[in-house]
Amino acid sequence: MTVTAMSSSGAAVPGRPPGRRRRLPGWLAFYGFISPWLIGTAALTLFPVGYAVYLSFTDWNGMTSFKPWVGLANYQQVLTSGDTMSTLSKTLLLTAVVVPVTIVGSLLLAMLLNRRMRGRGVLRTLIYLPAVVPPVASALIWKVIFDRNSGAANRLLGLFNVNPVSWLTGGNVFIVLIVVLLWALGSGIIIDLAALQTVPAEQLEAARVDGAGPYRRLRHVILPAISPILLFQTVLTVITTLQTFIPAILLSPVSSAGGLGVFTNIPPANDVYMVDVYEQFFNYSRYGYGSAMLVVFFFVIVAMTALIFRFLGRSVFYAVDPTKVHE
Amino acid sequence: MTAVKNPARGTGAAFPGQVPAASLRGRARRLAGRSPLAVTVAVLVAVILTLPFVTLIISALTPASQMGADRWLPTSLRWANFTDATRYIPFWSMTRSSVFLSSLFAVLTTFSSALTGYGFARLRGPGKRILFALLIGTMMVPPIVTLIPTYLLFSDYKLVGTYWPWVLWGAAGTPYAIFLYRQYFSSFPKELSEAAVIDGAGQLRIFCQVFLPLSRPLLVTAFVLGFNSVWGDFIAPDLFLNQSNTTLAVGVASGYQNTQGYPLYNLLAGGAVLYVVPVILLFLFAQRSYVRGFATTGLK
Repeated sequence: MTVTAMSSSGAAVPGRPPGRRRRLPGWLAFYGFISPWLIGTAALTLFPVGYAVYLSFTDWNGMTSFKPWVGLANYQQVLTSGDTMSTLSKTLLLTAVVVPVTIVGSLLLAMLLNRRMRGRGVLRTLIYLPAVVPPVASALIWKVIFDRNSGAANRLLGLFNVNPVSWLTGGNVFIVLIVVLLWALGSGIIIDLAALQTVPAEQLEAARVDGAGPYRRLRHVILPAISPILLFQTVLTVITTLQTFIPAILLSPVSSAGGLGVFTNIPPANDVYMVDVYEQFFNYSRYGYGSAMLVVFFFVIVAMTALIFRFLGRSVFYAVDPTKVHE
Repeated sequence: MTAVKNPARGTGAAFPGQVPAASLRGRARRLAGRSPLAVTVAVLVAVILTLPFVTLIISALTPASQMGADRWLPTSLRWANFTDATRYIPFWSMTRSSVFLSSLFAVLTTFSSALTGYGFARLRGPGKRILFALLIGTMMVPPIVTLIPTYLLFSDYKLVGTYWPWVLWGAAGTPYAIFLYRQYFSSFPKELSEAAVIDGAGQLRIFCQVFLPLSRPLLVTAFVLGFNSVWGDFIAPDLFLNQSNTTLAVGVASGYQNTQGYPLYNLLAGGAVLYVVPVILLFLFAQRSYVRGFATTGLK
């Protein structure tokens, strides 16, 4: 590696004019490289978050230039409102169902597809494909399938003489929402397959020689080796599932009553937290209350992440301290 | 050591012929590979996960009069559903918006994230640890938490209704992609840049001429992730754009219904097929590099 890098540009050294050798100090180069991200994050993440925090202390309706200060009243209301807490618990329920199935499902499928078999490439692609489909499309696909009159779901049930079910209304739509999210079950297999290649072959071999069966090899060799990746994946999946929004609104039987993209009658069963926030802002113009909900939600996410690190982090095994790789 | 390692390398993609020393492990693997149960389960899962696509395509080809009918396949295929779907909403202008915005954002975010990832992986500066913690922290901020306040701010600056927000978001990079780049660039041997530094190359030249050409898989991964995130996004165009310049996601999601608000399922299915096909093609086209991009990031 070194040799090739040297020889490609090494010939130019003697003739180089001295001026070209003047370089920026290291720290300036560092800040130069990260400046697009740093400025962007300051302007597009930190500033809006700060603005949301400010609004959360007001009772603004989005119209007036005056933003009445109400102190902690919005927070008090968020934490005591039965409606908001029920949307939060619904979101946590959704996460509790979807995340374990997705993480375990991805890992099992990855282990299955890591074996040598005919047509493995095609099978990998087909199982991963639903994870590529954008959320807008997957919501619409399942909406077509679960339609009461023309959907394939009821036709399938009809084979077993079950009467047509109204999937997209009432409480049933929550089941459809779970199905939509679970369809992307294989979303982690690409990362899991990559992770499985890092399991030390010597250790697997040693375990096999010692008579460890598939379960014990998984438990004592494979899982410890890939645990940092599983932890990372779990945290990311929890965060994205908590934010579920698009499928929840697009499953509504009648969408966009007021022109393109204005949703007014989202079924109450799919009233997950982000849907509630959306309605507070755009249907009720409660900008202060909506902002307080966003801030509370951020702390929920931080708390969930901390919990995951607390309980799963202990069993994570780092072969190399990832923070010290190139220091 | 190397003798043991070689077969392990082969398990990624290669086949038995490439493994010279047929170890116990290799034989066990080949036997396992013939396990009919594993193949059956894999095929079954693949079929179940593919069925929704099949039903979608069938619906897209069914005449409206047969949509509610109690049969699995229509008596005749109606290809005109697709052309109707492109006429019922301003399909082509929305497609143009989607292609333009998705590509613009993807190109910008791919390079901006690479720059930042390089900075975190190979350069030093005061406050680097804190800034890296900030990067990881922003991964935890749900996009929608910033989206609504950003909307309020951008409307003050008359940026709502324009494509500028996507330029700014793209230039700012994506935390997840930055993280992948950082992992990837960290795994390069130190000598690689040291040699170039001795030669007098500046960091920007090292980045452009040494690191970027070596990171094609990850560039593809970041581009695909970026493209899909805009192509699939519904909330930002719904908030920031208007009917005349919005994206296909908004059109397909809310355009196919009659005046009573009842969904026109065959057009919806046709539109959904047309909307998904580009994303699937992009993935199939880029799959090899995309997978390698994840595999080589050393998420260890």
